[in-house]
Amino acid sequence: MDDNKDLKSLTEIRDGQLAVIVSISGGRALTKRLADLGLRSGIMVKVLRSALFSGPVQIELCGSRLVLGQGLASKIMVKEG
Amino acid sequence: MKDDKKINIVLAGQGNAGKSVVFNYLTGLHQHIGNWAGKTIEKKEGTLYYKGYTIDILDLPGIYSLNTYSEEEVISREYIVHQKPEFVINIIDAVNLERNLMFTLQLLELECPVILVLNMMDLARKKGIAIDTGKLGHLLNTPVVPTVALRGSGITTIIDKVIELKDKEKSYNPPEYGKEIEKCISVLSEKLKDSHLPYPPRWMAIKLLEKDKDIIKLVKDYSKDIVTEAEELGSDLEGIHGHDSSIVISDERSHLAAQITRLVVEISPRQKPSLNEKLDFITTHKLFGYLVMIGIMGGMFLTVFGFGNWLSSRFDLLFGTWHDWWNEAFGISFASSLGWSAVESVLALIQIALPYILPFYVLLYILEDWGYIARISFLMDNLMHRMGIHGKGCISFIIGLGCNVPGCLSCRIMESRRERFITAVLVTMVPCSAVSVIVFGLVGKYVGLWWALGLYLFAMVIIFIVGKISSRFFLGEPVELIMQMPDYKTPHLKTIVSQTWEALKEFIYIAAPIVIIAGVLIQAIHLAGWMPAISDVLSPVTVNWLGLPAVTGILLIFGILRKELILVMLAAYLGTTNFGDVLTARQMITLAVVSMFYIPCVATISVLWKDYGWKKAMIICIIEILFAILLAGIVSRLLSFMM
Repeated sequence: MDDNKDLKSLTEIRDGQLAVIVSISGGRALTKRLADLGLRSGIMVKVLRSALFSGPVQIELCGSRLVLGQGLASKIMVKEG
Repeated sequence: MKDDKKINIVLAGQGNAGKSVVFNYLTGLHQHIGNWAGKTIEKKEGTLYYKGYTIDILDLPGIYSLNTYSEEEVISREYIVHQKPEFVINIIDAVNLERNLMFTLQLLELECPVILVLNMMDLARKKGIAIDTGKLGHLLNTPVVPTVALRGSGITTIIDKVIELKDKEKSYNPPEYGKEIEKCISVLSEKLKDSHLPYPPRWMAIKLLEKDKDIIKLVKDYSKDIVTEAEELGSDLEGIHGHDSSIVISDERSHLAAQITRLVVEISPRQKPSLNEKLDFITTHKLFGYLVMIGIMGGMFLTVFGFGNWLSSRFDLLFGTWHDWWNEAFGISFASSLGWSAVESVLALIQIALPYILPFYVLLYILEDWGYIARISFLMDNLMHRMGIHGKGCISFIIGLGCNVPGCLSCRIMESRRERFITAVLVTMVPCSAVSVIVFGLVGKYVGLWWALGLYLFAMVIIFIVGKISSRFFLGEPVELIMQMPDYKTPHLKTIVSQTWEALKEFIYIAAPIVIIAGVLIQAIHLAGWMPAISDVLSPVTVNWLGLPAVTGILLIFGILRKELILVMLAAYLGTTNFGDVLTARQMITLAVVSMFYIPCVATISVLWKDYGWKKAMIICIIEILFAILLAGIVSRLLSFMM
């Protein structure tokens, strides 16, 4: 269990906010897949947009834009700022 | 003896990098799109004749990595290793260099001859991104060719490079990572050196540390010790870095990609939000985004149906007298009737299906080239997810509204087999333009427009419910949406034309033969005088359960061929198009419901057969027939309380 109280999931970050990835709450396969896309702990991303009805999240990463399904995004734990 | 003038190359890269544009440019009309053996993934091959050389080009599917997340990745990796193309042309998006480089590094690890194509240089320049291509080539030890594929600039340079380097000695310098990792890699690759396994030893070493299941199995068969040692080394790395060794490797690639990018790219800062950003703001807005989407979809519909109706009636005038000519030329006989039904099937495809499919495809490809389709996936993903499929499934539905055949074909863009299948099944329940003919021409005209629209809504609800049920029934998780959001760009005419042409070609090759055969068959049954007998056999269902006139039995059989035939043949049978005289409102609605959901038309069945096998296709047909009959019967009874 995380004792870090500032930890949120990517889906809880507001549009336009920056966030630093802390951990992935998923299995090794998922963590690896995200890592292959450049999403790993310590990386800063900017949340651009989230769709209505808790849909996918658009983020900016290394200068390019990525869209992540809501299920995925909810497993990426971040710290704001 | 090796043919000296023949070269074999492969295009690889992430989606959205302009790979297809390059492929189309190089191969033009000498293209062939098939399937990878035993899979539903498209295989695009073509040939280029250039400066006396015959160059065979294979366009690999757009992929983000060479691990085993998807069939596309496995196919690509296996092809490169086993088929050993002379060059792998890696097409990279200059605007997203760092992200693209992560794939390039994986390619270089495979120790295959790579030529890097830096595409979209114009877009990069507009964004203030300047890239030192010489330095990039030096750092990666590969030739780099900058291009603007849409304008065709630089593309022949790629082939010139291929020809220039063809016979030269090829040396591979796979990328080097951090010291501790390199140590582990060299220990393992040393042991794998004499294994005679088909992959480069260094690459296998990296894959072992990445815990790639396929490679672990392969190496285990050769030597269990190496696998054990890899596990130990992996744990060591984990101890040093604090992550699983597979993550450590990904990290190394990310670091190297970032490092190279930093050395090679200079960005002049942008001042104000670009047009792209403003456009994106509106089109993905929580509220306006959906309004815009409804607007665009609505506009697309009106255009498709407007144009379709117009073109259809033109063809109607044109083909109207052909039957008489035929009879005059060939007389009236069993054989000539059969001959005519073959001709008529083709004419009907042209007259009824084509006028709608053509504008549909054109508009679809315009939207896709512009970049809007990705926004649709974004806005609709959540809803699609509740149906057990991906956001991209929405696109297949939209296409299916024009015609189920390309709708089902488009399911190939889904990543997992499970999703492809579920989406295809759901697409068959989407009312296509033929079904719309029935909905509008019968219910809309005689019962009321609101009833017609209500039927569409009803269809959407049913599809949603079926989707939800099937997602429970078919075990497995829907693949999460991960996609790169492309920038908006001006649609390119040549791309749209060639994509539309490819789509039309595929539709014709699949639909036409089946439709002709089925048409002739049904005509033969009709001429043999078996139709009345058949409609009698079906009357317990049609008359008793559905409350429809007995002739409906035959109509529904004709409907298997093409759904609008239900209405067309009814008019022929009754001798009038005044359906209101013959059918009650309740009957019309019931007939429309059956038409919507029972068996897909023959052309669609052929696609299902081709992509998913005859067993699954048959099961879908049978289930849908039963479902439609049951549903329509219930609807009929409910309506009898209301009307």
